[in-house]
Amino acid sequence: MLFFIVDLLALGAINSIMAVGLNLQYGQAGILNFTYYTFVAIGAYVAAVTTMGKPKVPPSLEQYVLQWNLPWPVGLLLAGLVAGVAGLLLVLLVIRRLRSDYLAIVTVSVGFILWNIVTNDIPLFNGANGLFSIPYILNGQTASAIEYTVEILAISLVILAACVWVARSIFRSPYGRVLRAIREDEVVAASFGKSLTGSRVGAFVIGCVMGGLAGALLVFYLTAWNPAAFLAEESFILMAAIVIGGPGNYWGAVLGTFVFVEFLTEIARYFPNVGNGDLIGAGRAIFIGVVLIAVVRFRPEGLVPERWLHWYGRPGAGAGPAGPLRSWRRRRSPQLSAGDAQGTADA
Amino acid sequence: MLELADIEFAYGGSKAVAGCSFTVADGLATGLIGPNGAGKSTLIEVIAGGLAPDCGRVVFNGVEIQGLGRAAVARAGIIRTFQTTRELAHLPVLENVVVAAPDQLGESLFASLFLRRRWAAQEAVLRERAEELLDWVGLSKLRSEPAGSLSGGQRRLLEIARALMAQPKLLLLDEPSAGVYPAVRQLIAERIRAIVGQGITVLVIAHNMAFLGEVADDVVVMAEGRVLARGALEEVRRDQLVVAAYLGGGQMRGTS
Amino acid sequence: MNLFAESVGFGIVTASVIALAAVGLSLQVSVTNFINFAYGDFMTFGAYIAFSANAAGLNFFPAVLVGAAGTGLLGMASNWIVFRPLVKRKSRTLVLLITTVGLSFIVQNVIVLIWGSSAQRYTVSLGRALHIGPFLFTPGDLILIGVAFSLLALLHIFMQYTKFGTSLRATSNNADLAQACGIDTSRVVMGTWAISGCFCAIAGVGLALETNTLRPTVGFNELFVVFGAIILGGIGRVYGAMLGALIIGILTEVSGMFADPAYKGAIAFAVVILVLLIRPQGLLPSRGRSA
Repeated sequence: MLFFIVDLLALGAINSIMAVGLNLQYGQAGILNFTYYTFVAIGAYVAAVTTMGKPKVPPSLEQYVLQWNLPWPVGLLLAGLVAGVAGLLLVLLVIRRLRSDYLAIVTVSVGFILWNIVTNDIPLFNGANGLFSIPYILNGQTASAIEYTVEILAISLVILAACVWVARSIFRSPYGRVLRAIREDEVVAASFGKSLTGSRVGAFVIGCVMGGLAGALLVFYLTAWNPAAFLAEESFILMAAIVIGGPGNYWGAVLGTFVFVEFLTEIARYFPNVGNGDLIGAGRAIFIGVVLIAVVRFRPEGLVPERWLHWYGRPGAGAGPAGPLRSWRRRRSPQLSAGDAQGTADA
Repeated sequence: MLELADIEFAYGGSKAVAGCSFTVADGLATGLIGPNGAGKSTLIEVIAGGLAPDCGRVVFNGVEIQGLGRAAVARAGIIRTFQTTRELAHLPVLENVVVAAPDQLGESLFASLFLRRRWAAQEAVLRERAEELLDWVGLSKLRSEPAGSLSGGQRRLLEIARALMAQPKLLLLDEPSAGVYPAVRQLIAERIRAIVGQGITVLVIAHNMAFLGEVADDVVVMAEGRVLARGALEEVRRDQLVVAAYLGGGQMRGTS
Repeated sequence: MNLFAESVGFGIVTASVIALAAVGLSLQVSVTNFINFAYGDFMTFGAYIAFSANAAGLNFFPAVLVGAAGTGLLGMASNWIVFRPLVKRKSRTLVLLITTVGLSFIVQNVIVLIWGSSAQRYTVSLGRALHIGPFLFTPGDLILIGVAFSLLALLHIFMQYTKFGTSLRATSNNADLAQACGIDTSRVVMGTWAISGCFCAIAGVGLALETNTLRPTVGFNELFVVFGAIILGGIGRVYGAMLGALIIGILTEVSGMFADPAYKGAIAFAVVILVLLIRPQGLLPSRGRSA
C-alpha cells in the first residue's frame, strides 16, 4: 500500500512537469501541440542512450546508438536540451502558419511519423521493443523499490518546483501578458506591434524542454523506454487533462493531469480486470471524452480557472518610477486632465 | 504625414479600392466618409498593414509602409481601433490597456525570468499611465472586470484608451461611435478633439455626419473605391458628386 | 519500368481511398471551420457498421451503404449534440478542435466496447489480379477506383449544379454573407456532416479492405495521411484535397521502390513537410491575400 502511494506520487510529480510544460504551450501561449509526448519520448531516449553505457545483452535483443556512460544529471540536462531543440525545429517548420488547426494537424502527423520511424528502426531505436537495460540512477541498483521511488520523487519535485517557478514568472510578467494577448486575438496583438512568432517560440521551446526533463525522469524511474508508452493517444489524453483541469492555470493543469492521466491509469493497474481486459482502458477513455466535452461546454475555463491566478505580483519598485523613466514619461504622454472625465460612461 | 498614392485592392474579382489617393495632414483630424461599400474599411486595413494593396503606395512620414504587415506598421507609429470592437475579452480591462504600450522591457522570455528588476519599474509606470487613461475615458471603476463584460460604448472607450497607450503618431479610428448612445458619442467626440489637441494626427471613419462635423477638420469622401471629394464638411456635403453617390446608393444622414 | 507503372497503379488505388477520406474532411472543414479529429474514428465506425451488416447477411455493397448511412447519422448527431451549442456561443476554433478530440475518445472506445479491440478479418473476394496495360489491378482495386472516381465526379456535379451544392459553397466561402442571402446555414452544416460521413465511411471500408484487417484504430492511424493530403491541397479546399490525395497516394507507393516499404508513410510525409516549408497555403493557387 505504501508503495502504491509513493509510486503514485512519483509518477504524479513527473506527469505534473509535463502538465506545466503543456500548460505553458497551450494555456499561456495558445499553441495547440497535439504531440507533446513526442518531446517526452525524445528526452527519455536521450537520457537513456547517454547513460546506458555498453550493451549488456546481445545486439539481437537490444541495439542503440551512442552508448555513452555519462552521469545521470548530464543525461537529464541533455534530455531537456535536445527536446528543446526538437521543439525549435518543429516551430520553425510551421512558423509561417501558426494557425491553431494547422499546428494541430502538423503536430499530430509529426507524432505519427516519428512513431512509424522509431518502431521500424532497429539500429537507432531497437524498434518496437524499445530499450530496457537502462540503469538505475543513484543507488537504485541496491536500494529497495520504495527507497528508489522516494529518491525519484525527490528529484522530480525539485524539477517540478523549478518548472512551476518558470511558469509563474512568465505568467506574472509582461511576456506572459503578450502571450495572453496573442492567444486571445492575434490581430489585435499584431496591431500593437507585438511579434507573434518571436513571442511564442520561446514559450513553446521551454515547454518542450520541460517535456524532455519529464521524459528523462520517467526513464530513470521505469528503467525502460518503450515506444508504446508514447503513442499519439497519450498526447491527446494529456491535452484533454489540461483542458479539463484548467488550461490557463498551471495548477489546474497539474490537477487535471494527476487525476486523468495518472490516477485513472494507475488505479486501473491495481484493480483486478473487470471482465474483458479492454473494458477498463475503453471505459477510461470514454469517461475522459465525456468529461472533456462537458467541461468545454459548461465550464470552458476548466476546473481551476485562469483568473484564480494572481495577474500581477508586486512589481518590486516602490511608489514612483526611477529617474530616467520619469523624464521618458513626461516627454511622451499628452497632458491629460482628469477633470475632463464626466463620471463613468455607462451607455 | 500620411500619403496614399493610387491604392488598389480587389477581393477576388471585385475591386474594393480602385485608385485611391489622398494625404492626411499632420496634427489634424481628417474624416473619411462614404456610403456602404465605398471601400473605407478596406482602405484602413491597407493602411494599417492588414492587407497588401495590389498596387499603390502608402507613405508615412516619408517611409513606404504598404504590405509590411500589422506589427511593423504599428511599430512605425500608426495605431488603429476596429469597426467591431476587438477587446481581449477574457482579460481585465486594465491589462487590455497596459498590453498596448510599446517597447516594454519585460516582453521577452529571458527578461521575464531573469530581469525582473529591470522591467518592474517600467511596469509600475505603465500601470499608472494606463490608470490615467482609463480615468480619462471614465472606465476606472471597471479596471478589473473582464473586458468582455463591458457594454458597447464602454468597449469603444476602452479601444480609445488602449490606442492612446500605444503612443500613436497617427491614430486610425474606424467608426469609433457606431452603435453607442448619444451621450457616449458626445464623450467620444470630445475625447477625440482632446487627442488632436495634444498633437496626435487622427483619421476617423464615420457614417454619422453630425459626429464627423464635431470631430473632423477636413473630410475625404469615398465612393466605389475612389476619392470623390475633399474639403471642409460643409463644402463636401453640397458637392454634386457626393450627393449623387449618397442618393444613388444609400442615405446621407445629417443628424444622429 | 514495369515495376514503376505497377507502383503508380497501386498508388492510384491508395490515392482513391485517401481522396474519399480527404474530400469528406475538407468538405466538413470548409463549412464548419474546424477540423474534426474524430474523423479517423468516424471512418472506423463506418467500416465496422458495414462489416457487421455484411456479416449479418447483407451483400457487400448494400452493407457499405448501410455503413455510409450510419456514419452520416453519426456526423449529424455529433453536430447536433456537441458542436452546435458551442458554435452558437461563438467558441473559438481551438475549443472546437479540443472537443473533437473528446469525441474521438468516445467513438473509438465505444467501438472497442461493442466489437472488441482485436483485429477482425475483412475480405471481399472478387477475383485475381489482372494486368491492365502496364498496371496490375485486382477487380477489387478497379471497383474501388471506379467508386472513388464516380463519387468525386458526382460530388463535383452536386457542388456546381445543385441548389444545395451552391448553398454549400456559399457557406464555406462566407457563412455570414450566405446567411444574409437567405441560405439556411444550419441546414447546410447538417447536410455537410451527412455527406462527409458517407464519404468517410466508404473510405474506411476501402481502408480496411486494403489490409484485409479491421481494428478499432484503423481510421485513427490513417489520420495523418489524410491530414497530409489536406495540407498539400490547402485546408478546406475540396479540390485541393483530391490533388493532395493523388500525390500522397502515388508518392507512397512509388517510394516503396526505392526505400524500405516500412517507411512509406514517413517518406510521403517528408514531402508534405517540404511543401509546408515552401508553400504553407497548399499547392493550389490562393484565393485571397492578407499581409
